[in-house]
Amino acid sequence: MRETRFWSLHILVVPLILILLGAHFAIMHYAPIFYAMSVEKAREFATMIERGKSVGQFVIYILLLAAGLYHGLYGTRGILRELPLPATLAKWVDVGMVIFGVTIFALGVYVTWWTFSFDWGG
Amino acid sequence: MPGEKIITFRIRRFDPEADSAPHWESYAVSVFEGMTVLEALHKIKAEQAPTLAWRSSCRMGVCGSCGMFVNQLPQLACQTQVLHLKADVISIEPLPNYPNVKDLVPDLQPLFEKHTQVKPFIIRLDDIQEMEHPAGEFLQTPEEREAFSQFTYCIKCGLCLAACPTVATDPHFLGPQALTQAYRYSADNRDDGVYNRLDSVDAFHGAYQCHMAGACSHACPKGVDPAFAIQLLKRTLVLDHFGFGKKEAQTAAVLPLADVVKALEEFAPPPRTVK
Repeated sequence: MRETRFWSLHILVVPLILILLGAHFAIMHYAPIFYAMSVEKAREFATMIERGKSVGQFVIYILLLAAGLYHGLYGTRGILRELPLPATLAKWVDVGMVIFGVTIFALGVYVTWWTFSFDWGG
Repeated sequence: MPGEKIITFRIRRFDPEADSAPHWESYAVSVFEGMTVLEALHKIKAEQAPTLAWRSSCRMGVCGSCGMFVNQLPQLACQTQVLHLKADVISIEPLPNYPNVKDLVPDLQPLFEKHTQVKPFIIRLDDIQEMEHPAGEFLQTPEEREAFSQFTYCIKCGLCLAACPTVATDPHFLGPQALTQAYRYSADNRDDGVYNRLDSVDAFHGAYQCHMAGACSHACPKGVDPAFAIQLLKRTLVLDHFGFGKKEAQTAAVLPLADVVKALEEFAPPPRTVK
């Protein structure tokens, strides 16, 4: 696959990350401004579980996870591949990045889904 | 001679047949206004170090042979005046990022290998016959030529690769010279070869590996701006990838040779008035 596709995507996700990271900050760090809620309250387990049941929050965090992971891992791959590695090892860097990215993404999706479908049992 | 000054030249010497590692030697030279580093090297060779080796030819910044690392900057020895360096001690080393053959002679093989990889020539997909057996010339307006004009001034001296910090860490990076030539030909309205160059240019060690340090553009002795060319190349690749700005496949606009001769005759100079 041409490098243009990978490179363009890593640039194109930047505005998405900015928007989604803005949403994350609004939710988690600027709750007093946007939700009239103290930061401590916004970070409480019960509040997070409550918030995690929202479809909007679910979508925001999955997208942020995907975009952030891709952007970050593409950059890390660039740094590693710039080292004078033998061709086989360079290939393994690519494979390793994909495996690592997919694993972390799966874990993130699991946690987000766990929160989304959490049942207090009452 | 008025204005003469004694300058110490610290030169990195290396003879692969005698030395296990490079070492430095100093030579005091009386220099004068206008004297170039190349002239100083000739003087050192004539008077103090007959075995000193370097590569040079034209002495006028055209052939690109005498690139060396003068006071930690890649420069052409024939274009660099000693007194303009404003230093009492001048260090001279072979160009970095290249294997060292002997003394100040770099092995420019990596430069030419990378240059070859980008197919630096006009490629026509629609008119093989004309490419193989030219019968005329492909037409180009001055405006069309202006689109890539400055990038044609490259003399393949290799200073840009020596200056590039990315080449220093990633020897596989195509580097500013080759990428500039890839753009130079891909931007040429007579060329259809952009897709033939993708294997080398649109790869990890291609255009996107440039970190935009800009050192290549500072180093270029001919005023070419390779850093700019690489950005233009990236733009071309991205727009092309998304289907924008695709170069129209041109039908060969071949001017028959007879017409070329006729046009030349029309613009022939007036007859001589002095015998």
